[in-house]
Amino acid sequence: MNRRVVLGTIATALTVAASAALAQEPMVFGVITPLSPPGETSLGQQVKRGSEIAVDYINEKGGVLGRKVVLSIHDTAGKNEAGVAAYRRLVSNEKAVAVFGFIHSGVNIAVNEVAKEMGVPTMGTQTGAGDVTAKHYDIAFRTHAVDPPRAATWLGWAKKNGFKRLSVLAETTDYGIGLAKATEAQNKSMNLGMEIQTIMFDRTTTDLLPQLLQVKAFKPDAIINVGVGQPLDLMITQATTVGLLPTVPMVTSYDAPGRPQHWQLHKEQGVGVHFIAFYTQKSKLSDVGEWFVKKYQEKYNEPPIYSALNGFANAIVFAQAIEMAKTTEPKALIKALETGSFKGWSSVPVTFPQAEGALWHNWSPPLMILKYTKVNQTQADAEVAYTLGDN
Amino acid sequence: MFSAELFTQTLIAGLMIGVLYALMALGITFIYSIVRMINWAMGEFYMLGSYIQYVVVAHALGRDLWWLAVIISTAGTFLVGYLLEPILIKPMYARAMERRDDYATVVTIALLLMLRSLAVVIGGPYQFRPETNLPVMWVGPLPMEGARVAASVCALLALLVFYLVISRTWIGLALRAMAQNRVAAQTSGVDVFRLDAMAFAIGVALAGLAGALLAPLFLVYPTNGAVATVKGFEIIVIGGLGSIPGALIGGLLLGVVESLGAGFISSSYQNAYGFLLVLLVLLVRPYGLFGERGREA
Repeated sequence: MNRRVVLGTIATALTVAASAALAQEPMVFGVITPLSPPGETSLGQQVKRGSEIAVDYINEKGGVLGRKVVLSIHDTAGKNEAGVAAYRRLVSNEKAVAVFGFIHSGVNIAVNEVAKEMGVPTMGTQTGAGDVTAKHYDIAFRTHAVDPPRAATWLGWAKKNGFKRLSVLAETTDYGIGLAKATEAQNKSMNLGMEIQTIMFDRTTTDLLPQLLQVKAFKPDAIINVGVGQPLDLMITQATTVGLLPTVPMVTSYDAPGRPQHWQLHKEQGVGVHFIAFYTQKSKLSDVGEWFVKKYQEKYNEPPIYSALNGFANAIVFAQAIEMAKTTEPKALIKALETGSFKGWSSVPVTFPQAEGALWHNWSPPLMILKYTKVNQTQADAEVAYTLGDN
Repeated sequence: MFSAELFTQTLIAGLMIGVLYALMALGITFIYSIVRMINWAMGEFYMLGSYIQYVVVAHALGRDLWWLAVIISTAGTFLVGYLLEPILIKPMYARAMERRDDYATVVTIALLLMLRSLAVVIGGPYQFRPETNLPVMWVGPLPMEGARVAASVCALLALLVFYLVISRTWIGLALRAMAQNRVAAQTSGVDVFRLDAMAFAIGVALAGLAGALLAPLFLVYPTNGAVATVKGFEIIVIGGLGSIPGALIGGLLLGVVESLGAGFISSSYQNAYGFLLVLLVLLVRPYGLFGERGREA
């Protein structure tokens, strides 16, 4: 009897000790993002910076459920298979409780196919393709603008300017195909009557001259540049050479020109470039958003761009949801994300409604088109050419 | 959309990129013909040339002296190749290895990974663009970046100089002798190990030259050499391994097929047209348009 009591006491003590040890173990947040080419590395770097500051912020406040948070950052180079391998490693080996940082839609979609079996929720940081959330997987969340509102933004801008002919040059990825289709579909459904030339291209191509010659022959009023990373910049350079830019305005499908490299690469060719943006320094921020902007400026001596803000927000939203769920158990965490209202970088609270189509589990930032009017302009000084809903 | 003007413009664009493709392939085919190995790290020497071009233009010479930077980049790549060859490639012959192809494959793939990782560590994952002072130029009805026109002209000149060196000089004669019969060349007093290093360095310097010339057009980043490697191998299959005219004609054919295919069939499959051409050539002439049928003793 005594022996049983002793053994029982030892077992209880070990369990308590193990639980205490677990409680002291850092909580892992996984970041899957492109940090080497051909991925969109500059945005990946921004996500990394933003999420690192977020972890500092969370740990300064005492961590999550009394545990410190650590990041495990994995580079995908924009490749789906690298993203899937990273997710498997994060969940199986590193026991990550949340995964975010996605920039390339294809990577996010591929990871979600595995995540729906493995259970740990993902958050698309800057992935625009509808299918990231449109499949209505429990684990799939996103804090970015999806295809329809983005297409609506440039179509609204074109309508406002009285444009009738649009050329859409899009890469053959989930992202490019989704946006090209959304543009054509909305042109029809909204009876805009625009003539749209759609040209798809392989994102590994090093020469877009044949495509741009077709665009020139079409004589468009505006060009929509749906390239990500290197093709986006190549298109700006080559469109200038064939005489399309700056005469024909070009809108890039995301805020890549907001990074400082835009001017290093394009110099005076970068003037006149329009770009979809989700944040300017005039945007209304939450108190943590304001704290982040100040901290980022201090640390990097430059203002943050949207990718950094979203990387930051993803981490703190997960932290708030885990606190709300009082556990890292995936199903409880998903429930908390679906029902809660969280503080992100924007003054608009972050929620993930179980809405229709691609809006499922999706929080969208405000959308606008910015335009550079002089060399070395910052995103904050860029002219607001259009805000979704202006017309 | 089709018009005679658009067709001409697209054809010219294809020919211009074709010359640049030829330059990418020339180094691979030259190294193979002399050292009898395939250098899988060729694209990384292209990348190295483009990085040197950027650093020299942006931090030392400025845009007006871009042409001097091209010479420095080519020489720099040559030097790196000349220093690496005795360490990495020479053991293949000096130690009389049985499975030289396997050795060369492993060593050059390791070199590829090392150079690529080094570029990420030193320059970060960012894109860079070295400037030139060249304005937009008109080639027939087609406006072209001055850098592209200069790159095409330099590539043609490089091909010509290379041809003259190989066909008219003693070193060219010795290299050709080595390509035909290594043992006979050595018996005749040719220092084959020194010429191996020379051939390897010349081959990678051609890739470095291509990288430096194309850097203002195709940008500088750690994996920019991958395309050069893929295109280079496509071209040597089309033109024939070890053939200099084959590299030129193969490059031009690839450039034109890709350009016309992207312009008038479907732009989505731009890279696939090149592979279709490769398959077609392999079916009709498995040793390439200008290659020689292999002989086994």
